Amino acid sequence: MTNLLSTPSNERVCSRQIAFFAAFVLPVYKLLELPSLLARFAEGDLLLPALFQFLLQAGALLALLYVASRSNQTIIERLEKRLGKWVKLVYSAYAAMFLLAAVLPLLDLEKFVYAAFYDTSPTLFSFAAFFLFSAFFCCKGVKALGRVGDVSLFLFLIPFFALIVMSLVEADISNLLPFFEKPLYASFKSATYTAPQFIDVLLLLPLIANLRFRKGDGVKIATGYTAGALFTLLFLAVFYGIYSTIALRKHYAFAKIAQYFPVLSVVGRIDLLFVYMLCIVLFFFVASPLRNAVACVGKASGLRSKTLLSFLVNLAAFLFVLFCNKYYDRIYRFFGNYLFPVFWAFSLLLPLALLFLKNKGENDA
Amino acid sequence: MNKNTKPLQKELRTNLQALKKALPAEDVLTYDFQTADDVDCALIYADGIVNKELLGTLVARPLSALSLRDYKDEQAKATAVETTARFPELKRKETLQDAVKEILDGNTLLLVDGIAVGFILGAKLLPNRAVIEPPTDVTVKGPREGFIEDVKTNMALVRKRLKTPDLRFEMHSVGKRSNTAVAICYLDGTANEQALQEVRSRIAQIDVDIVPDSSYVAALIAPRPRSIFRCIGTTEKPDAFTAKIAEGRVGILVDGSPIALTAPYVLTEDFQSSEDYYISPFLATTFRALRLISLLVAILLPAFYVSVQIFKMQLVPLGLMLTIASSVQELPLSPSLEMFVVLFLLETLKEASIRMPKYVGMSLSVVGALVLGETAVNAGFLSTPAIIIVAFSGICMYTVPNFVETGSLLRWLFLIVSGCFGPFGIILLLAFVLTYLLTSDCFDTPLLAPFSPLSTRDLRDSVVKYGMSSLTKRPRIFQSKNKTRLRVTANKGTDND
Repeated sequence: MTNLLSTPSNERVCSRQIAFFAAFVLPVYKLLELPSLLARFAEGDLLLPALFQFLLQAGALLALLYVASRSNQTIIERLEKRLGKWVKLVYSAYAAMFLLAAVLPLLDLEKFVYAAFYDTSPTLFSFAAFFLFSAFFCCKGVKALGRVGDVSLFLFLIPFFALIVMSLVEADISNLLPFFEKPLYASFKSATYTAPQFIDVLLLLPLIANLRFRKGDGVKIATGYTAGALFTLLFLAVFYGIYSTIALRKHYAFAKIAQYFPVLSVVGRIDLLFVYMLCIVLFFFVASPLRNAVACVGKASGLRSKTLLSFLVNLAAFLFVLFCNKYYDRIYRFFGNYLFPVFWAFSLLLPLALLFLKNKGENDA
Repeated sequence: MNKNTKPLQKELRTNLQALKKALPAEDVLTYDFQTADDVDCALIYADGIVNKELLGTLVARPLSALSLRDYKDEQAKATAVETTARFPELKRKETLQDAVKEILDGNTLLLVDGIAVGFILGAKLLPNRAVIEPPTDVTVKGPREGFIEDVKTNMALVRKRLKTPDLRFEMHSVGKRSNTAVAICYLDGTANEQALQEVRSRIAQIDVDIVPDSSYVAALIAPRPRSIFRCIGTTEKPDAFTAKIAEGRVGILVDGSPIALTAPYVLTEDFQSSEDYYISPFLATTFRALRLISLLVAILLPAFYVSVQIFKMQLVPLGLMLTIASSVQELPLSPSLEMFVVLFLLETLKEASIRMPKYVGMSLSVVGALVLGETAVNAGFLSTPAIIIVAFSGICMYTVPNFVETGSLLRWLFLIVSGCFGPFGIILLLAFVLTYLLTSDCFDTPLLAPFSPLSTRDLRDSVVKYGMSSLTKRPRIFQSKNKTRLRVTANKGTDND
């Protein structure tokens, strides 16, 4: 049988890259629409559903790290040995899941691009350029994802803290008080509605599955994820501190959050330069599920031409955005109201199911 | 069998006839003379590239006084010739092919009747220019020597700085017709083994007619020959070259070229100048940051200006926006077309000023910068901000001289995407370029190292420059076996001294 899952040595990623990916790439999408969504349901308690989601994801992540730590083989190698040709089914399912996970980020990115990059009304095709980048990115291996994590250290930290510092001038953190003002049901509803925004473990899965685990890797990755969660919570706190009761109407807030910084009236909107810098990471984030989908389709179908697969997947994604962007609200409602079990199943339950993965033909490490 | 691989004969006349056939060129001369006992001898050389005086003094004159009759066998006669000639560089060659190759290399062939061996005399005297400061890499502090076109001189300049038996030169001949000498230079035990093997094998695979310059070798051994980013480092300064060799890189010197090559190459090299190592680390860091910012400004500023005008006016303060608006309101050209024209003018002026004779250059500057620019603004074809921006971008580009070609190309690309997509296009293209760089490895070394993959130790000599006492280890990215380059034993001193 063809070795579908064998990973060449140049495809390897290291734990530092995964930790950086978790710390600096994963939070960036949560700065877009998540704050206003959380504020809509939970108002001043918006940190609670976010924290709840982070804890759920962290639990799944720890389980996944435990699975990775049990062997000196990668999870992918073990899955291949264990499932044989049935592993194609897993790949097919995850290909579909990655495509599903890419829907909201793509729609959000489109709206955000039109809002943050243009004073004028751009044509719908302006956003098409993103798919050229995405198609290129999708041709790259998992090594590229790891290196994106490395470079995001600089691309995320500098603009993120610059924006936070600039926005702190207007922030009144006491707006968050008192805690537990809304009933717990509101927080839970908010958590389920925003489940498609929390695809952290899903995006970390291809990286961790390719990791040859060493001692200390788990701590690094868990620390990275915690840092990413703290960045998000900090942003949510500052966001609500600034906008308070009107927060639910402040879509794509991270492009506007620093605009009240006094110096900007003199030097122009230099905060947008930081926003744009952060956008580079955002582009990587949005292209990641598509890249993973391409990789999974490739493995499931046995097709070796990544260029062709990447072209087809991105063409499909472009056509979807082109024709469905006017149904943005409906799609959002559908995802929020009905699809959260699917997201939880793929990002929480299936990684937990790996706990039952026994090693075959190899002693436990 | 190739006819030139046949062995040299005992009869001098036969050898000379064969040589004449193999080398019919008129600049290959033969000087005939006889020993004291009337044995015929001949010196064969290419005219103009040998030291004739040396040949006369050390070869022809002593051999004229030698009597070969006293020696019985051929071997003894050959030894007698070698002893009498007393030439510092003397070796034997037994085939016609080898003899021809040596003559073409600039050496002299000595043939003696009755001896079936040719004596190669290293009397090469090639016309060379002096070792001067390279015009492309001028420094205020630090050594001013630069490589020249002679590979032997260049090797000597390296040897002068690395007086260690670990310094190795491997000589190769590249080019079917030019037979250009190429020296692979490395420090044994320090050089990146994988890169060394790859350089060796890639040079061995080169199959080309001529190699007029090291850029040919660079292009032919590059792992990504179609990339707009280069894969091989270049330098004209022996001090920078030796420093790179000492870090674990492999150097390549090519005869006929003053530009030395180094591999593996990382992008941060372009932001480093040899002078950075001769000044305070704080200053060096400042200069490196300045170069990086200048390069970004050079590439992005024209594109940014266009996208501000067309798509996102908020990016500039109100006062500046009004100034720009008043400058461009009467223009017949769109912002992107205007910037395109001004940039085209700059590139044309640059290209022309490099190629034209120096005495015409002054007139060109006056015509180009003053007449063309001033008149175009007065006539209302172009706006003053566009000219200022392009001029500033042009100046900024030259803060990183090794990146000018790539930077100019990127500037055009960014200008095009900014005209089409505005700031979104600029950021998207940045992400695109970044992805390309992230996934580009040359000689097994990532182009964007030490930023990605991150190597915190190597960051100490990247855009930031630490003091010498902190750079105790060789860069991790080059995977040198010999990791330590500096042992700090002296007292580092205190602030209260």
